[in-house]
Amino acid sequence: MTPSDRRDFLKGAVGAAAVTLLQPHLFAGPRRLSAPVRLGLVGCGRQGRAMLSELSKIEGATPAGLCDIDARRLRGATRRAPDAATFDDYHALLDSDVDAVIVATPTHLHREVVLAALAAGKHVYCEAPLAHRLADAKAIAAAARRAESLVFQAGFQGRSDPVYTLAQSFVRAGAIRDIFQMRAQYHHKTSWVTPSTDPEREKLLNWRLDPELSTGLAGEIGAQQFDVVHWFTGKYPERVRATGGVLAWQDGREVADTVHAEFLFPGGARLDWDATLGNSFEGQYELLYGVMGTVRLAWTHGWMFKEADAATQGWEVYANRQQFYNDEGITLIADATKLASQGKLKEGVGLPNPPLYYALESFLLAITEGAAPACGAEEGLRATAVALRAQQALIEGDEVTIPEDDFKVD
Amino acid sequence: MILRLATRAMGTRFELVLSGDDPVYLRATGEEALAEIEQVESRLSLFRRDSLLSHINRVAHAAPVRLDLDTFGLFETIDRTVRESRGAFDPTVAPLMRSLGLHGEDSGAPLLDLADAHALVGWDSAILLDPNERSLRFTREGVSLDLGGIAKGHGLDLAATSLRENGILSALLHGGTSSIVALGAPEGRQGWSIALGGETRPVTALLRDAALSVSAPSGRRAVGPLGEVHHLVDPRSARPAKGSSQAAVIAAQAATADAWSTALVIDPALAPGLPFENLLTGEGSWSHNLPPSSPTTPRFRLPQTV
Repeated sequence: MTPSDRRDFLKGAVGAAAVTLLQPHLFAGPRRLSAPVRLGLVGCGRQGRAMLSELSKIEGATPAGLCDIDARRLRGATRRAPDAATFDDYHALLDSDVDAVIVATPTHLHREVVLAALAAGKHVYCEAPLAHRLADAKAIAAAARRAESLVFQAGFQGRSDPVYTLAQSFVRAGAIRDIFQMRAQYHHKTSWVTPSTDPEREKLLNWRLDPELSTGLAGEIGAQQFDVVHWFTGKYPERVRATGGVLAWQDGREVADTVHAEFLFPGGARLDWDATLGNSFEGQYELLYGVMGTVRLAWTHGWMFKEADAATQGWEVYANRQQFYNDEGITLIADATKLASQGKLKEGVGLPNPPLYYALESFLLAITEGAAPACGAEEGLRATAVALRAQQALIEGDEVTIPEDDFKVD
Repeated sequence: MILRLATRAMGTRFELVLSGDDPVYLRATGEEALAEIEQVESRLSLFRRDSLLSHINRVAHAAPVRLDLDTFGLFETIDRTVRESRGAFDPTVAPLMRSLGLHGEDSGAPLLDLADAHALVGWDSAILLDPNERSLRFTREGVSLDLGGIAKGHGLDLAATSLRENGILSALLHGGTSSIVALGAPEGRQGWSIALGGETRPVTALLRDAALSVSAPSGRRAVGPLGEVHHLVDPRSARPAKGSSQAAVIAAQAATADAWSTALVIDPALAPGLPFENLLTGEGSWSHNLPPSSPTTPRFRLPQTV
C-alpha cells in the first residue's frame, strides 16, 4: 500500500472514527479553561490529594477550599494546595464562594455531602462508587437529575480516559464483533489498613474494612471496571455469583481480601472478575473477547489482538505493536494518524496524564463549555448498583438477580 | 519485631526495615510510607509519560507550571545544590543524557547531536523558579529535566516523614541500596550500621536520623556517539565523569545527599571547602571519597542482629 493509498483508506469508516477522536490537547501545552472555576474538595485522603495534583495542571481550575474532619489529612492536602481555605465542616465550605465541589469522602458519606452541595447550587464531582447503599445512590441520582442547571459527574474514569474512548469507538464500530466473554482483574498487594495510634481515628480511616460501611473490593475497585464493561458492551448484567474470603491477610478482618465474581449478561455473555489484595501479578486490566479479536485495557494503555481472519483496518499500518508471550498486541493510541504523520508515534504510547486527570478535565469542561460530563448520575447509579449486588452475592454466598428496578431513578 | 516491606519504583527496589511491636500497625505504616515513594515515582519519573516531570518537560517552555509545596521545595534544594556544586549537579543535563543514549528508547522525537544537546544544558539560563507563584518555567524549548537520583532521595525523605508522623522511632529505608535513610537506631544500638565498599575492605558507618547516598560510575551504561559511557555525565563538559572513585555523602535529607554524591563523583575537586557540615571528610573509619582501589559497586549491609 502506498502512502496515498493509506490516506484514501483512512477516509473509510474506521479511519473516520480515528479522525473524530483527534484530541489535539493531548499533546499540546497545558489545558486552559475558558472561564475560571473555583473548586472545593471534601475528603482529603489519598484520592483527594491526587486530585489536587491533577487540577494543578489545568489553568483556571483553582482549589479554593479543602475540607476534612481529620487535621492531619487536611494538612497533607494543604501541601498540595497551599492557597486554599481549610474547613473541618463541609457546610462551611459550601457557604464559601466555590463553584464546584469534589466529593472524595469515604463512600458512605457521599450522599449527605452530594445532596447538600447540590442544594447549595454547586456543581458536583462524586467519586465512585456513588454510595454504599442502593437507596443512597438513587437519592444522589435523583438529586442530580432535579438539579438541571448543575453539572453532576460520577467519578467512573473509563469514560473519559482517551485510551478507552478510542478503544470503545473501535469496539462499538464492530472491530472485534460481538463481545461474548470478558475478564477483568485487580491485583494489588496491600493490606488496605490505614495506620493510626488513636483508636477512634483508626476506625474512621479504616471504613473500607468496616463490614457495616464497606462496599468491599467489588464496590471500591470493581465498580470502575464494571462500568467500563457496561460502556463497551452497552449491556448490564442480569445476575451475579461471587465467592471469596479473607485469604491473604489473616489480621482479624472480616471484609474479603480476595473475590471472584461472575456476571451473566442478557444473551449469555459473561464477565469473570478477580480481585485480590494479596498479589500484584499483572495488576489491573479488562479483557473483552469477540470473535474477531480481543481488546486489553489497562487504564493508561490499551491493545487490540486480532484473530487471523479479521479484516485489516487502515489505521493499523501506523500502529506500534507489543508482544504478550505468544500474542502480538496492536497498541491503541489516540491521535495515531496525526502522530504518525509527524514521525512521533512512539510519543503516543501510554497516556500523558493519569486517567484521573481526564475525568476531572471532563468535569471542568462540562462546567465551562456546557459539554456533557463523561459519566452522569444515571450511569453512576447503574455501575454502583451492579457492584453492590456483587458484594451482596459475596456475602450471601448465592447467586443474586440484578433487578431492572435497581437502575431506575425515582 | 522487625518487618520488611518493599516496592519497585523509579527503576529500582525500595525497601523498608521497620522495628516495633504490632505487626498490623507496622505493615500499615510501611505501606503508607511506600505509597509516598510510589507517589514520587508517579510525579517525578522521567520514564513515565503521565508523570508531573513529563508534564513539566512537555509544557514548561510554553507556560509556568504550578507546583505543590513538596515539589517546589525539592526544586529549591536543586537550585541551591546546582549553585553550590558549580554546576556539577544539574538536572538540565537531560538532553545530553538522551543524546548519549542513556535514556534508552524513551520517545520517538529525533535525537539531537551532542553539541545541540549541550547547548540546552545549564540550570541558570534554562530555569526560572518563581517562589511567589511556586512555579517553574523553562526559558526555551528543548530544555528538559532528569531528576535521576535526587527523586529517589526525595521519595525516601517523604517516606521517612510519613513514618515519623505515624510514630515509628526506628527504621531503615533504602532505594536500590544507593540511597539510605535511618530513623533512630535498632534497639540497644547507637545507630544503623551501614557497610560500604567491597567484601575485602568494607567500611562501616553508623547512621542515625540521617541520610546516606553513594554514587559511582557503575550501574547504568549505554552505547552512543561517545562509545560506551556510564550515567554520571558532567553537565559542564558534556563528557562522562572521569576516574573510578565513588562518593558517599551523609546529610540530613536524602535528596541533598543524593545530589551531592552525584556532584562529587563528577567533580571530586569540590570536596574541600564544601559549605555543608554533614559531609564526611575522612573522619572516623571512612571518607566521602573512597579510594579508587576499592571496588566500584557500593553495597550496604543490614546489621546481623537487631
